[in-house]
Amino acid sequence: MVSPEMQKLAEERAARMKAANELKEPDRVPFSGLGGDIIAAYAGISSYEYNFDFEKNRQAIIKWNTDFPADSPQGGVGGLDNLSLSVAFVDFPDLANSIFMLNGPMNDVLDMKFARFPGRQLDEYSSPQFIGGKNMEPEEYDELIADPQKFAYEKILPRISNNLQDMSSPKALATMARLGMVKAQQAAELMKTGQALAELGFPSGGGFGFGFAPLDYIGDHLRDLPNVVLDIRKYPDKVKAATRSILEVLFKLAMQNQHADTIMFPLHLNEYLSPKLYNEFYWPTLKEFILRLAENGKKSSLFCEGWHDPHLETFLELPAGWGRAMFEKTDVRKAKKILQGHTVIQGGIDVGVVISGTPAKIDEYMKALLGDMMPGGGYICGPNVGNLPRETPIENVAAVYEAIEKYGKY
Amino acid sequence: MVSPEMQKLAQERAARMQAAIELKEPDRVPFTGLGGDIVAAYAGITAYEFEFDFEKNRQAAIKWLKDFPADSPVGGIGGLDNLAMSVAFVDFPDLANQFFMVNGPMNDVLNMKFARFPGRQLDEYSSRQFIGGKNMEPEEYDELIADPVKFSYEKILPRIAGNLADLGSPTSLATMARLGMVKAQQAAEMRKTGAALAELGYPTGGGSTFAFAPLDYIGDHLRDLPNLVLDIRRYPDKVKAAAEAILEVLVKWTLQGKAAGAVQAGFPLHLNEYLSPKLYREFYWPTLKEYILRLREEGMRSRLFCEGWHDAHLDTFLELPAGWGIAAFEKTDVRKAKKVLAGHTCISGGIDVGVVISGTPAEIDEYIKRLLGDMMPGGGFILGPNVGNLPRNTPIENVAAVYEAVEKYGKY
Amino acid sequence: MREQLLKSFVDMDEQEAVKIARELVETDGGAVAVLDTCKEAMEEVGRLFEAGEYFLSELIAAGDMFNQIMEFTLPKLQGEEVASLGTMVLGTVQGDVHNIGKDIFKVMAEASGINVIDIGIDVPHEKFVEAIKEHKPELVGMCCLITLGVDSMKRTIEVIKEAGLRDDIKIIIGGGRVSQAVMEHVGADAWADDAARGVRLSKELLGKE
Repeated sequence: MVSPEMQKLAEERAARMKAANELKEPDRVPFSGLGGDIIAAYAGISSYEYNFDFEKNRQAIIKWNTDFPADSPQGGVGGLDNLSLSVAFVDFPDLANSIFMLNGPMNDVLDMKFARFPGRQLDEYSSPQFIGGKNMEPEEYDELIADPQKFAYEKILPRISNNLQDMSSPKALATMARLGMVKAQQAAELMKTGQALAELGFPSGGGFGFGFAPLDYIGDHLRDLPNVVLDIRKYPDKVKAATRSILEVLFKLAMQNQHADTIMFPLHLNEYLSPKLYNEFYWPTLKEFILRLAENGKKSSLFCEGWHDPHLETFLELPAGWGRAMFEKTDVRKAKKILQGHTVIQGGIDVGVVISGTPAKIDEYMKALLGDMMPGGGYICGPNVGNLPRETPIENVAAVYEAIEKYGKY
Repeated sequence: MVSPEMQKLAQERAARMQAAIELKEPDRVPFTGLGGDIVAAYAGITAYEFEFDFEKNRQAAIKWLKDFPADSPVGGIGGLDNLAMSVAFVDFPDLANQFFMVNGPMNDVLNMKFARFPGRQLDEYSSRQFIGGKNMEPEEYDELIADPVKFSYEKILPRIAGNLADLGSPTSLATMARLGMVKAQQAAEMRKTGAALAELGYPTGGGSTFAFAPLDYIGDHLRDLPNLVLDIRRYPDKVKAAAEAILEVLVKWTLQGKAAGAVQAGFPLHLNEYLSPKLYREFYWPTLKEYILRLREEGMRSRLFCEGWHDAHLDTFLELPAGWGIAAFEKTDVRKAKKVLAGHTCISGGIDVGVVISGTPAEIDEYIKRLLGDMMPGGGFILGPNVGNLPRNTPIENVAAVYEAVEKYGKY
Repeated sequence: MREQLLKSFVDMDEQEAVKIARELVETDGGAVAVLDTCKEAMEEVGRLFEAGEYFLSELIAAGDMFNQIMEFTLPKLQGEEVASLGTMVLGTVQGDVHNIGKDIFKVMAEASGINVIDIGIDVPHEKFVEAIKEHKPELVGMCCLITLGVDSMKRTIEVIKEAGLRDDIKIIIGGGRVSQAVMEHVGADAWADDAARGVRLSKELLGKE
């Protein structure tokens, strides 16, 4: 059972996040917390154990969130973006979203060509890795445009999953049954983890789902990133038409997350494109996606991988309060200048500083960051990328959390 | 945790069964218990709840077994024989056995044409039912003979599973994923039920798996029974060759159950009473006999439930080595069976459920007394109902009379 | 020819029986002869079954032969007076969806000259009442395979009583799980756990034997 004290803590944390998301000033700057491979290291387990053993994973998460409590819980069973499978099964709303994140045990069943997991294809202390690949020829754009879902099912799945190569084979059907078993077992484990986190005062409910810029689906899963960049020049009309078809499917998929109030978009191709190409090929369908979600009461949260500086102004085309932008390399101070009062900003902590700094330097770094970013509200403090390596000095991690308490009060 | 007292009880019960199977006299006649639709009725729930709600099912089974404890547990989630699917997936030993019994929630996913469940295709107080059907044409015998696994997968599954009609379609793959989810959820529930039964003093481990006479696979799942009996006359060589091909697959499948811990294989015989001794010996028995012998070589015993009348075929058991296993009878008089099989085959059954449904406690007491008096001497007898299912309206005092009589007259 | 037909039919020689029947039916008065001979053959098969010489597979095979032969014989009997022993309403009771036992019985009953009105499987109690009102049968047959059918038969007979129709009809119950005890329990007039016995008792109930 969750104690009244922990229930109160959960309410405070939720209120803090909510205030920032509404562009207001909460009682203290909300902090999304640090995490990644360090969580397994802190619990003394390998990355393999963390990714494959749900009991050890849960204990590691509990230990980390007990010692380093933030406003949202850190850790979980990691996974790799398996969007093609979700697109292929979008007509099965009970399945499409649950098969989106490919974790270790799921990959044991599916054997995806793009996936590498610790203790399997990688050293047991390594991180799970997505390696992409070209799974579609340019001649197939018309097929993709005509029916992205059918195309993903009939053409892409057999190319990316070794165990679904022949869809009508007994092996393919057995693979799906095994996948279902793994998912049901994991759902039971995740409920236990969720309960443990509730007992630590983390808000439950108000989950998030995933969304993707339609062009990223082509770059990450179909044509491979370097090819899509060339396609934009060679077959511009086909690429545009494809993004429009894909938008419909991805929107449907995102809306199937009935309990999600926020849809997270990990942007990928953004930093590869000039503002001209971004505005012509990437942004129109992404923008429409965000607007449609807003119409349906869902906020969006964009993780802008790499440099997003040339594209910052495009957010202003969205209505104020549309959602949140998280930045990796783009300076959050620069983003604040443009987006203050319009878009929630998240990030700011360069994990390089946490890895290589000293507690004193980190204290100073955090003080300066919060001093610049907090005024006016609408800011969530967090790392610029999600993964702290195993060797990160733990006293540096502690220094970040202490600085939040020290300098984060409004 | 299981108390030492209950552990001891479990050992006693297991020993009692084991002694009878080994043709010896235990301390008391082993009794398999009465069950069926009455278990749900006794707990005040519908057949639909009993089949679809695992928590209610478990509570009903626990209540029944507390009040009517026997030497093996009754109740639990039942299912319908889904053998074609196990055959189709026999190359996937982690799955083949799990698919064998199609229960209510599994059928919601698969939509099998042969299955009828309460609260779905039937009234919510009805029993689940297997209705069979013709799923293969006589022209297809050669394909079946050449590769029963491939044939079951490619030809039969799409014809019997509404949601696998188009193998390889998104619906078929989604169906399998859902089936996997249902199975994993049920496995967790089954573990809870198993723990509850252990706490009631029931033996764990040493379980039973399934087996089928090869000809029954053809009759129940492929050609439908009336067609098969005509095929035997019209295409005798094909039927024989098919039974031989099927035997190999089924033995492989049953041994997968052994690998998972089973020590016994239960054969529900179906076509037996349809066949004259001549046809039985020519078409049915050779592969069934070989099946039993092969399992015995692997250390497993068989239990044959001889549906209907088995009188004409009793002496065939004597072709098996003494101690091969158990013959359970429905209509065949167990006394008659004992005359032929004493000292050779363990006999199970004896309680006509018709008597339990329509008799009085006094009549039942007398009935069980006579039955035990005739059947117990010399050992090798397991008392049980002639069919597994007591209907919902069975008078509960009649049920109690059976259990009391077992204690009264069952001691050796 | 009639003798050859009778012998090949009873001996389960399907090809020969069908061949002779096809020849015989084309002769003058042949259709009636085929019908009578096949009925006689079915009766003999039933007798052999009850004697323990034949088993269910022979009943099924005989029924199949009978149907095959009737398919080309009945059209030639149109206009002929075919005697009926009486009418029987037949159904598998509510809650039970099996038909194999009912179907074996039905062919044999028809072959014996009973006019069978088959009202199907999983038949609600009220539907039996409606069928009795509509067809005014002398006999009602209720089948079940599963033990649940016992409760259902009892209830069906109660509903027939409530409708005031019980005294107009005889009731025979059939199926794998019925017995003398079950018959008394549900309040039927006769019971049979096989089709041959069922047909014999049905004819007795119709006062024809």
